[in-house]
Amino acid sequence: MTPLAELRNLTKTYEEGGRQRTVLCAANAAFARGELAVLVGRSGSGKSTLLNLLSGIDLPTAGEVVVDGVVLSALSERERTLFRRDHVGFVFQLFNLIPTLTVEENVLLPLELKGSPTAGARAAALDLLSEVGLADRRAAFPDRLSGGEQQRVAVARALAHDPLLVLADEPTGNLDLETGLQVLELLDSLTRRAGKTMVMATHSPEVVGLADRVFRIEDCRLAERAP
Amino acid sequence: MSTALLWRSSRRHLVRHPWQIGLAVIGVALGVAVVVSIDLANTSARRAFALSTEAVTGRATHQLVGGPGGLPDTVFRDLTLAEGLAGRIAMAPLVEGYGALPEKEGKGRRVLHVLGVDPFSEAPFRPYLKPGDGGRSAPAIDLGALLTHPGAGVLSAESARELGLRLGDSFHLRVAGADRTVELAGVLEVTDEGSRRALADLLAMDIAAAQELFGRAGTIDRIDLIIPEGDRGGKLLGRLAAALPPGAQILRASSRSQTTEEMTRAFRLNLTALSLLALVCGGFLIYNTMTFSVVQRRPLIGILRALGATRSEIFALVLGEAAAVGVAGTALGLASGVVLGRGLVQLVTQTINDLYFVLSVRELALTPLTFIAGAVLGIGATLLAAAVPAWEATRTPPRAVLARSILEERYRKALPRATAGGLALLLAGLLLLIPHNLVVSFSGLSGVILGCALLAPVATVLLMRLLRRPMGALFGVLGRMAAGGVVAALSRTAVAIAALVIAVSVSVGIGVMIDSFRQTLSRWLERTLQDDVYVTVPSRAGGFVGADLDPAIARRAAAMAGVVRVETLRRVELATPEGPVRLIVLGTDLWGLARHELQQGDPATAWPAVLDGGAVVVSEPFSRRHGVEPGAGLRLPTDAGPRLFPVVGVYSDFASDQGLVLMSRATYRRFWHDPLLSGFSLNVARGVDADRTIERLRAAAGDAALLIRSNRALKRISLDIFDRTFRITAVLRLLAGLVAFIGVLSALMALQLERMRELGVLRANGVTPSQVWQLVTAQTGLLGLAAGLLSLPVGLALAAIMIFVINRRSFGWTIHMQVAPGVLLEAFGLALVAALLAGLYPAWRMARTSPASALREE
Repeated sequence: MTPLAELRNLTKTYEEGGRQRTVLCAANAAFARGELAVLVGRSGSGKSTLLNLLSGIDLPTAGEVVVDGVVLSALSERERTLFRRDHVGFVFQLFNLIPTLTVEENVLLPLELKGSPTAGARAAALDLLSEVGLADRRAAFPDRLSGGEQQRVAVARALAHDPLLVLADEPTGNLDLETGLQVLELLDSLTRRAGKTMVMATHSPEVVGLADRVFRIEDCRLAERAP
Repeated sequence: MSTALLWRSSRRHLVRHPWQIGLAVIGVALGVAVVVSIDLANTSARRAFALSTEAVTGRATHQLVGGPGGLPDTVFRDLTLAEGLAGRIAMAPLVEGYGALPEKEGKGRRVLHVLGVDPFSEAPFRPYLKPGDGGRSAPAIDLGALLTHPGAGVLSAESARELGLRLGDSFHLRVAGADRTVELAGVLEVTDEGSRRALADLLAMDIAAAQELFGRAGTIDRIDLIIPEGDRGGKLLGRLAAALPPGAQILRASSRSQTTEEMTRAFRLNLTALSLLALVCGGFLIYNTMTFSVVQRRPLIGILRALGATRSEIFALVLGEAAAVGVAGTALGLASGVVLGRGLVQLVTQTINDLYFVLSVRELALTPLTFIAGAVLGIGATLLAAAVPAWEATRTPPRAVLARSILEERYRKALPRATAGGLALLLAGLLLLIPHNLVVSFSGLSGVILGCALLAPVATVLLMRLLRRPMGALFGVLGRMAAGGVVAALSRTAVAIAALVIAVSVSVGIGVMIDSFRQTLSRWLERTLQDDVYVTVPSRAGGFVGADLDPAIARRAAAMAGVVRVETLRRVELATPEGPVRLIVLGTDLWGLARHELQQGDPATAWPAVLDGGAVVVSEPFSRRHGVEPGAGLRLPTDAGPRLFPVVGVYSDFASDQGLVLMSRATYRRFWHDPLLSGFSLNVARGVDADRTIERLRAAAGDAALLIRSNRALKRISLDIFDRTFRITAVLRLLAGLVAFIGVLSALMALQLERMRELGVLRANGVTPSQVWQLVTAQTGLLGLAAGLLSLPVGLALAAIMIFVINRRSFGWTIHMQVAPGVLLEAFGLALVAALLAGLYPAWRMARTSPASALREE
């Protein structure tokens, strides 16, 4: 079966204070449709960089990223933005909800960015809000919600526009253990039920237990290990 | 694509930061208000002048004028009967002057423009004065009364209503210091707006009544002519020229209004440039506000980019916010501009009356063009100022959080480029000062200002490096943090400092320029005004020429005991095809002439040549304006026809920016038959009390109304006029300063409020509220100190440019630059106080906020 996303000889180097620092060297991996892949590694090992490359936010120094048959590095900045808008959902460690939009508006934002959403798409997005248990808080602004509630809204937002790929960067890193687990289960169940591929960077051992595949980044090398 | 949610988010951001947006709106509003009000004042003055000229000139194509004494009224009769001219050229004789109405409590002086006409010749020229015209302008003129009643006159119906006058009523008019009675013999009912304005304050009289009113029996000022275009007109002009008496000349009617318009061009341009300066300050304010708005939301923009918002959507979002600020500010500014304009038009009119010609502006001319220009400038400047931060916003990488250090590093890396750009702009600005064009010079001045603004960041870095150690020694770790913080947040602090440097340096520049000008003028007055008593005829109408004085009074004064010397003065305006030439006639003796400082020419030979040799000297502005230098000849229209006068010197003079020609009484009497004086001055013997002399002089003058002033009083009045002239500059300086102050206030407040979390961390680590006060105050104080120190050299450079380039090219005066420490201290204090005030609110808010909530505000 054709993988949804592929990393081909992916290398990423940064310049820091006049010196080159390589974060990823010739990484290869393939992520199948509907699977949950987890990235582990020490802080600063390059997990977030890999997610940024997968989403087209950042460009590789060498090699290529292919998502749904599209070579991201061959696209222009605008094309990559539009690709991301249509096909990628994000969940961040710091929730990153838009403070000037209500909970409902935050969830609808990716749909709005794609274009005028159909009534069906809107209803589906709002159903997601019910599924994360926050339908009654739809008119609230993010600063009125707890951390766990904010991350649940972020999960709904990441899935609202029916993306192919969901990228999650330490989604439980800012939550207590119990809340983190709740969010994790919610994220896992919703993405699996929708048949989405999810790549998640994490330190949390609980996530590893849920993963279909686990990748580790160490000394700029990406290697798969047993879950 | 729909981005309604992005716009909604943007709108809520604006609503959640009312103080920041409110200050930006006020900044734009002030900038627009200043530009619009100056334009309204200028336009109103020009329109009032154009309408009154149009009303007085009527349909005349040419004007026949004489010398200072006018034309004998027989010229009109002779020409109308002359062979080949009679019935072929429409002619109308005219006597023109001004009279002041008695001042009313709380209301300013009102001057009527008096037009003495021959009603039977008027029809082709000024139809509104045609008796019995029942058209659009239907005059209710009692021709019999107008011709037969002494002092009968006609006013517009509106003026009559305003003055509470009815047909047959009498009123007083002060002419040449004496009260004259005028009877209202008719009113002009006009229906259209243009005529209504044109006829405001115009008093039409029969020519004989006007001659009597002005004491000019037997003479007229000019004869208006209608001469057809083409060959026929050329032939008629030739015939007319042949029939003219010596000293009379024919001028195109349009040349008069053009030259008068030209007179005030530099004055108006200077005002416009100053008003644009306020808009530039407003632009900086928008730039500040939008930059901070972008900086504050950089992480948010990063999220939006990660979610798929494109660069163009982000760019449009930021520009949209700016447009909202621009539209609100512009609307407020246009309304305030009208209010401000009402005040400024009085100041502009006063200056025009003091320096140029008699002008009465009764209302603002609210032209749509002014409002359109104001709106385009306001919204355009806002969008332009926001374009840079909007572009910057699109460069925000689509990552969740971009480290502040990376941002600052990027800014510091750009510093050499900004510095090089600043130097290039500075150099380009200096080069633009070379061509002798006023508009280009102002562009050069703007280049220098912006170049210096771009150099502010690098200068700040160097200054903070110098201050870090002494600040540490004085205030410990907090002192070092304050100095380090300014450099660490250079991307924000540099903009605030640059804005403050611009505002304060402009304030220093204008302050030093005005101060230098005043001191130069004061020294010139000391040198020129050396007599004990000065006598003129009061002329409330103002203008250069003023009222005439009977020479017998001067002779009586000379005969008074204790008077050792009398110097006579005659001021006349000679009409020439190139515009009026202002002539000053002085010179009873060499001593009186030589008190004028010669800039070019040898005093030892020049003054005797002026006194007895028929030569003239010209003032510095005249020399610059007309390119006349010693050795040249100056052609002037005399009563015996045009004559070339040798120019033997250029002298310092600040009485008129139009320039003056100075000649001796002996030369004047040789070529002009004008026995009248405009004034005289006298010296009293040592030990004689000048005030007692003034009393005796009043008694000797009899009924003649004289304006007698002591030396000291005249100097004080001259300086008062100077101060009045620069009042408008001071108002503009204040407004530009206010705009900049608001800009800096908002920038520094935003900067400190942005540091809430950092300050929260400090509080959590044991820094007390009072130490937070100290830290915030020290940092904003350092910003003020940096801006204050940098603005002094920049301000002095601006002053030098204004004095030696702009002023010299605008008005032709050489001003000696004087730097009063008070102006510098005031400017330095302004920068420091602005910065310290800006720190008050954040410091107060931080001291009241618990560290926990500050830490939560991410």
